[in-house]
Amino acid sequence: MDASEREQYRAAIHGDREAFEMIIRTHSRTLFAIGYGILQNREEAEDVVQDALVKAWKTRWRVREPEKFPAWLAAIARHRAHDVLRRRRTVPFAHETVEISGMEPIDTTAVDQQLHSALAALPELHRAALTLRYFEEMDYRSIENTLGLTNGALRGILGRALASMRKQLRPALVSMD
Amino acid sequence: MATVHNEIDNWLVADLHGELSADERSALHTHLVDCAGCRKTHQATKLMNKILEETLAQEKPDPVFEQRMLAEFRNRIPQRSGFAKLLADLMHMRAVQIAAVAAILLTLVQVGRMITGENMIAVRDRERYVQAQPAAPQSRVAPSQPAQAGTLAESDELAAGRARGFAPSTPASSLAKEAKNKTESFAQAERTIVTGSNIPTAAEPAPKPAETPAPELANRKLVRNATVELEIVSFDNAVQKITAFANEEHGYVATTDSQKQANGKLRGQVVVKVLPENLDHFLQKVRGLGELKNQTLGTEDVTKAYFDTDARLKNAHVMEQRLIDMLKTKTGKVSDLLQVERELGRVREDIEKMQGELKYWDSQVQFATVTISLAEKDMEEPAAFLLKERSQLALYAPDVEKIYNDVKSLTSQKVQITNAQLNRDYSGRISAQVSVLIAPEESDAVIARVKGLGRVENFQTQTERVAQGGTGMSENAKTKRDKVELNITISREEQEQALQQTSLRIRTSSVDEKAKELRVLAEKEGGRIRNSTFSRDPDGREFANLSLRMPMKNYSVLMQSLNSLGKVENVSVQRQDRTGAQIDEANAPADISIQVYSQGNIVSHESGLLATLRRTLAQSASAIMWSLRMIGVAIAFLAPWVVAIVVIVWITKRAIRARGK
Repeated sequence: MDASEREQYRAAIHGDREAFEMIIRTHSRTLFAIGYGILQNREEAEDVVQDALVKAWKTRWRVREPEKFPAWLAAIARHRAHDVLRRRRTVPFAHETVEISGMEPIDTTAVDQQLHSALAALPELHRAALTLRYFEEMDYRSIENTLGLTNGALRGILGRALASMRKQLRPALVSMD
Repeated sequence: MATVHNEIDNWLVADLHGELSADERSALHTHLVDCAGCRKTHQATKLMNKILEETLAQEKPDPVFEQRMLAEFRNRIPQRSGFAKLLADLMHMRAVQIAAVAAILLTLVQVGRMITGENMIAVRDRERYVQAQPAAPQSRVAPSQPAQAGTLAESDELAAGRARGFAPSTPASSLAKEAKNKTESFAQAERTIVTGSNIPTAAEPAPKPAETPAPELANRKLVRNATVELEIVSFDNAVQKITAFANEEHGYVATTDSQKQANGKLRGQVVVKVLPENLDHFLQKVRGLGELKNQTLGTEDVTKAYFDTDARLKNAHVMEQRLIDMLKTKTGKVSDLLQVERELGRVREDIEKMQGELKYWDSQVQFATVTISLAEKDMEEPAAFLLKERSQLALYAPDVEKIYNDVKSLTSQKVQITNAQLNRDYSGRISAQVSVLIAPEESDAVIARVKGLGRVENFQTQTERVAQGGTGMSENAKTKRDKVELNITISREEQEQALQQTSLRIRTSSVDEKAKELRVLAEKEGGRIRNSTFSRDPDGREFANLSLRMPMKNYSVLMQSLNSLGKVENVSVQRQDRTGAQIDEANAPADISIQVYSQGNIVSHESGLLATLRRTLAQSASAIMWSLRMIGVAIAFLAPWVVAIVVIVWITKRAIRARGK
């Protein structure tokens, strides 16, 4: 983290709105990736990002060390996404899948659908890591910072995630080959 | 290589993501060349990666995603205006938070004080201060005068007062100037008076600064007083000398008085009036008369009061004249005339009073007053001594009433009973108290007779020498014996506490028989059985308890003869020596309590395996009950605190969560 970035976080914590809006520009995609990783729903993920940003602005004074600002932001988004997930579990789940399957043409989406269900089967941390990587093409270092992981742990997570998806999607992949 | 193979998934993914270092990459590729399985996995992973990239790219947020987020954020959190923002920012500062907490604590303390009424005192103090404030300006010079005068009046009230008294008609500004001059001169004069050891008097031309006008000081009215306390050899001689000194210094002796003490010494007071200028000289002479015990020299400045009264007197004279004129010229109603007449009477009364006051002051100022207290040497020497003797006598007798009557029959002119009391309580205990006053010459004989009436338990004599007409020692004073006060307490012998208490056990096989033998032995030695018991317990042990009282002189004989009864065990002897008391030790009572016992059956039915088990169980049960009780106590001790802490934590968490939302 370079000095200007750090200064930006510090200013945001001290209530500098412009600095905070700059952070929104640079970090909202990351937050979206995290939200999507957990919820696998774009609208909900967007809501999560919104809520997380508002909450972060309101409680920014709780962050005592500017370096930890991005990780803290990610944590808020993750908690928020969890809240949404908890609430969703009480509502029937079927509606969503029906909608998706209704909208997309059957042929091309066979792999797609399997991919989504394979994603859903992954642990949530794995999903978050995957989305950060594939949405934002973030390098490992940034992902580690955002999710609070070590390099070895992240490699393990991504490796296992891909391996397990590969196994689930094997029939589809074979047909594609 | 083994690591690469085992973690091939991780390595492949990291390679695809371009996150392997150069070394790692070459290691991986070397392994892939060797390992066919891993090559296959490599292909599959590559495909998976591609699919993921393609599929998830569709789910990526649109390009205006950030703009949307920003707009929504701005919508939800409107920019605050200056003050509200400042306030909100302030609220989040650590220093402000600490200050706020401190303020709350302080408020709580104040509220507590208000409830406990502690600050009621403070409030009252403040009220008093507020009341005092308006009073202060009133004592100052009227505000119409220039500020200069105001400050002067503050610095020296006396000067202002004089200025008022002297020149009531001068205009304010000149008055102020005058007051200033006077203040300076007075301040100078006051300093010389106070600091100078050789005190200059009003009549004497005191050293004055150049700018001080002479008549100002001459007008001052100073009353000088001195008191001297002397110890002299002969009172009459001293008074004569003082009279001579007074005449030398153009004074006179105003009053003398003297008192003769019981020891023949004289004490008295002489008041001398001398001219103030001669005061110091006179005092020096007087000091030579004897030993100086105490001396004070005081000067009272009555100038202000004097001239105040003087001015008022002048005003009263003017008033009187006007009233007289009114009576002469006016021919009004009779009632009005009477009113004027009455007023005139009042004014004249005032005039007389004030004239009297002035005259008194004049006389005081004209002469200094010297009060000389004289006391002859050895004033405190006592005239005589009185020997007061007080005796306490405690008697024990078999028949209290008889002794009581015997003591009463001693009454004669020289032996007087002041108090006699015979008490008998419900349990038949009887005691008597007699207080007697005996003429000194008879006292020894009477006390000896009373002592012969019974056994003396305690006799105490206290002699006190009381000095009369003074304190301390005297070579010449005579010593006289006063009447002897004798307090006699008579109690029955039974009630007497034994001088010596002995307890012992005798083991024998035939308890009953030996107890009887013991009884006989004791009676032979003059002992008296006071109490005896006999018991047998379930184990077949027999006990005979005997307690007896006997004179001390027979004690050792009995103790020796006890050995013939059986094995003597556990002997304990307790002796109460009464110090300072005259007692007849040979006849003093000794208590012995003896337990004669047998050993009984060897085996108790309360032993054996079952009994031991039962006892162990009972003891462990009671131990468990005890520990239960202790746990209960501990819970009762801790529970309220735990509950309180939990409640506080819960409330804090709630508060934090509420603030977060």
